[in-house]
Amino acid sequence: MSVVASGNVANKRGVGFNADTTLGLLLVSPIVITMVALVFYPMGRTVWDSLHRVNPMQVGTPFVGLENYSRMLSDAQLATTWGNTLTYVVLAVLAEIILGVLAAALINQIKTGRQWVLAAVILPWALPGVVNSVIWLWIYQPGAGLLNGILVALGLPFENHVWFNDRTSAIIAVTVVHVWRMMPLTIVIVLAAMQGIPAHLYEAARIDGATRVQMFGLVTLPLVRSAIAVAMTNATVNAFNLFDEAWVLAGASLETRPVLVQIYLETFQNLRFSYGMALSVVVTLVSLLISLVYVLRVYRNTRFD
Amino acid sequence: MKTTLSYKILIWTGIAVLLVWSLGPIYWTIASSVTPSADFSTRPINFFPQHFTLDHYSRLLGVNIARIGGVEVFKQFRAALINSVVTSVAATLLCVAISAFGAYAFTRLQFPGRKALFIIVVATLAIPAYAVLIPLYQIMIKLHLVDTYVGVALIYVSAFLPLSLWLLKSVFEALPIALEEAAQLDGAGRLYIFFNIVLPLAGPGLTAAAILTFLGAWGQYLVPLIFSPQATKPLTVLIPEFVTKNFIDYGLITASGSIAIIIPALVVIFLNRYLVSGLLAGSVK
Repeated sequence: MSVVASGNVANKRGVGFNADTTLGLLLVSPIVITMVALVFYPMGRTVWDSLHRVNPMQVGTPFVGLENYSRMLSDAQLATTWGNTLTYVVLAVLAEIILGVLAAALINQIKTGRQWVLAAVILPWALPGVVNSVIWLWIYQPGAGLLNGILVALGLPFENHVWFNDRTSAIIAVTVVHVWRMMPLTIVIVLAAMQGIPAHLYEAARIDGATRVQMFGLVTLPLVRSAIAVAMTNATVNAFNLFDEAWVLAGASLETRPVLVQIYLETFQNLRFSYGMALSVVVTLVSLLISLVYVLRVYRNTRFD
Repeated sequence: MKTTLSYKILIWTGIAVLLVWSLGPIYWTIASSVTPSADFSTRPINFFPQHFTLDHYSRLLGVNIARIGGVEVFKQFRAALINSVVTSVAATLLCVAISAFGAYAFTRLQFPGRKALFIIVVATLAIPAYAVLIPLYQIMIKLHLVDTYVGVALIYVSAFLPLSLWLLKSVFEALPIALEEAAQLDGAGRLYIFFNIVLPLAGPGLTAAAILTFLGAWGQYLVPLIFSPQATKPLTVLIPEFVTKNFIDYGLITASGSIAIIIPALVVIFLNRYLVSGLLAGSVK
């Protein structure tokens, strides 16, 4: 495979390339092999197979055109999972951005121990998603869970309250775990931008008699706008990819099931491979489209003056 | 602007809330992991453990197991711990090595298709893993690589390579080229320069790439759920299995969770500077 991959590229150039060229091709060949075999070929295969009927339980893989795609339109379960995913995206992005920017502004205000606070804040992001999810499963536990324990200690009637019996509270519970894990990313990105704001801008605002709130609204926020957009892109893509939290906390429950869990179930439990692939293609496109919208907005709004 | 006392109190209250939000769940996990199972049924619950025990850890690690009895999970747990370490370390070393060679070629060597290849590889950052998962599964079955270290490590490499390559290319570009040119004049070869000048200088960048790859591989769930079902099952797949329909063993869950937390926590505490720089480079796609 390596011979084919590097040979193709070399042929275009013809004979007579120098030692650097050979070395360059040699050094990138592991990347080319890995990416072609494990990303580009499977990617193309996903698109191709989504136009066929691929099911390990059925013989043959006849071409079915866009049948897998048109079937999505009448798939009621799928519609529910899309609704859930969009709910996760909206809730998670709002929470991560609003709370994340506030948290970054807070950390930006302290001087002593900033590194330690930052390390503590990043920790949830660094942990495996499923470990976060089982931690919160234990916190949400009706009997001995921490959440009900705190609420009861505050005198509220939450003994043995089951958070996953009701769709709204279940969705919020899953979102909270996701936000707990992903908000550090927003904080790091926005905090870095805040640290890059020159001190003399605040000095000027102070001389003009601005209050702290005005400084935040008129100096800080406009200058970290592009960082917020980057953070929003990340938050959106991550919320789209929500899987671990929903799967561990609520299993296959349709009330909380995001699109990604739906793909997993259709593919690896119902063994409808090609339908799963068509779903993957659609989710990928939607995710790319949303990222693109953000990127374009940032480029339009940020001028280098 | 003069900082009034009330303003300082406001800020530090906010920081305290932030710390409780970030560390509270982790504290609760560790506290529960040293609480005897019997204490889980006391009401109202205690926010601090009233009795201390290492029984859950003994059950997980197979130390003095006869005294405690119960389900034998330690063999599975030990295997999963080893599997997690082996696949994550192998994927990290392979990924950083491949992307370091590649990043050097992309920054310092001229070869046809250089720019296009780099863009195409980095563009795959935008492709979610599940878009390639099913064909990948079919490929791995054909190659007999399902449930092997090689198979899973290779998938991790393909997943984390673009980010690592992107990061290292920007690191190499920032290195002073004068040193390399001087070495070249002295007759040093490309590979000599790469190993003896570029790599030592790029230490922090390599660390950042390694941390991001390692944490990513360590935390993977969906990929090993499909590609490591039995012999190479990692911690992330084993731990949720303690949650069964009839009975959830919270002692085991919190103890195994605490163990899975240790390595990422050490990374965050001691290598946070590199982690933050890597995150920033990686997020500005």
